[in-house]
Amino acid sequence: MKLRIAVITILCIGLVCSGSMLSNQANAQGNKPVVMPEITVFNPMGTPPPITLVPQAPRLDTLDGKTIYLINTGYIGTDRFMDELAKWFNANYPKTNIVIKDNRSGAGLSSLSEALWTEIAEKGDASIVGLGH
Amino acid sequence: MKKPAVPVIMHDFEKQEKEVSLNLGMPGLRIQYFRGPIWGKTNEQIRKQVMEGNNPITGRPVVQELVEKLTKPLTAEEKKTGELQRNVGPKTYTATPDELQRLFLEKRYTDFLPVILPTEEKVAEMLKFTSHDPDEVLGRMNPGSGAGETWTYTVKDAAVNAVMAGAEPEYVPIILALGSTGITAVNVSDNGFMAGAVINGHIRDEIGLNYEEGAVGPYAQANTTIGRAWSLLSINGGNCGKVGTTYMGTIGNPMNLIGIIIAENEEKSPFKPLSVRRGFKEGENVVTLFTGWGILSAKNWAADVWGPNMNYPEIIKEIYGTQDGWLFGTCTVLSPPIADFVRDAGYDTVEKFTEWVTGQQPGTKPSFRGGNLNSGIRRAGGTFTVIVTGGSNNNYFSMGGMVPSQSVQIDQWR
Repeated sequence: MKLRIAVITILCIGLVCSGSMLSNQANAQGNKPVVMPEITVFNPMGTPPPITLVPQAPRLDTLDGKTIYLINTGYIGTDRFMDELAKWFNANYPKTNIVIKDNRSGAGLSSLSEALWTEIAEKGDASIVGLGH
Repeated sequence: MKKPAVPVIMHDFEKQEKEVSLNLGMPGLRIQYFRGPIWGKTNEQIRKQVMEGNNPITGRPVVQELVEKLTKPLTAEEKKTGELQRNVGPKTYTATPDELQRLFLEKRYTDFLPVILPTEEKVAEMLKFTSHDPDEVLGRMNPGSGAGETWTYTVKDAAVNAVMAGAEPEYVPIILALGSTGITAVNVSDNGFMAGAVINGHIRDEIGLNYEEGAVGPYAQANTTIGRAWSLLSINGGNCGKVGTTYMGTIGNPMNLIGIIIAENEEKSPFKPLSVRRGFKEGENVVTLFTGWGILSAKNWAADVWGPNMNYPEIIKEIYGTQDGWLFGTCTVLSPPIADFVRDAGYDTVEKFTEWVTGQQPGTKPSFRGGNLNSGIRRAGGTFTVIVTGGSNNNYFSMGGMVPSQSVQIDQWR
């Protein structure tokens, strides 16, 4: 009887072990990384324009005796900003001449006239341009 | 002119301005940033909150920095000259499909939805539907509103983006026609502009554009993927749609994903097609581009008028009067039953209806009281455009701000 139990136990253990081994083999196969083939695709980007570096204009050594244009590009509220900025310069830099130029079209920097830039080049020393909202 | 100038810009635009100044050849341009917005502030608020405040980026006083930017001597970097090399990466990428999807996502070649990977075979299929040279320059595009630099793209670039969008090759002539205009589908504006297109002609049926129920919805392959292809071409060909630099919508606009691609329901419309009203022949394949804020069900506007007895023309006129016509005018997209109501009310042409709604002769250039943002007073409505599409299962229509720009003959891109 004892022998029968021992044989059955051994067989059971054998079955469990072999089942486990089979399962491990299957897992090993299942976990094998699937190698996806490589493909070649196009870069979808267009072509940007070349960039030519432009040096910035030399700065002023002082604001005293200089004329600074405050240019309102026309965005809402910029007129108020420039008015306040002019007041600040007048209070803090009384020897600086402030000129406000308004562009009321609301059309932004690109709508400023060539004549204005010419005037600044001839009569001004620097400009503050705004606002980029 | 070699005189120092300092732009004053809201700090929220720093990333964009750095890119813009780089594009203009002045990567270190001295820009003064402030905390905005300014719009709606009193003089006192501007003085206290903005001018006497700090630059949110540096934490230093705005006015002090402003003076320094005018007076501090230039650095060697700021005096540099020469050419800067641009690099948009290799012409092709080789990897597994999963890796490529990830790469396209990381490089921001997509709209954050998965794309069809543009293999040589798929792109070649697309190019079979046009006689144009793949290397032909198709268009030049910038993000609109006068911002950003202008990029160039070829017929092949458009085909690559069309593949990515999931378009079928037979849609290519329309996608090329859209791309040929250089008009972006993804505008930079903080206002959140969208783009749309109206398609007329027999090509509508050839490629299966939907102009019945759900016509302006996203559930028709041709409408949706043509719109997506235009958006992807704008993103990749025109460098548009990059949040922080070339996409600055304060709120943004969900219509930027696929736009609104409308095929007119010419068969059920009592009016001449839009293309014919714009000077093209009956039956000719034409795409007309639109820009605006988009459209919304008219039921959203007109309260207390929806009942058993409806006066649709009057409702349209009333809504027209509520629209800010300054930028985009007013566009109404009518279902065929609503268009029939308009005709039956005595307006058998769009021109007659337009004259009645706007109070102006058709073709009259809209005039505005004031005419600039600062005045705060502008004529309502502006340009009035009528499009007929959709099903006949109920009496609905949409309205909004959308203005037509170019109309392009599609067959020239076959």
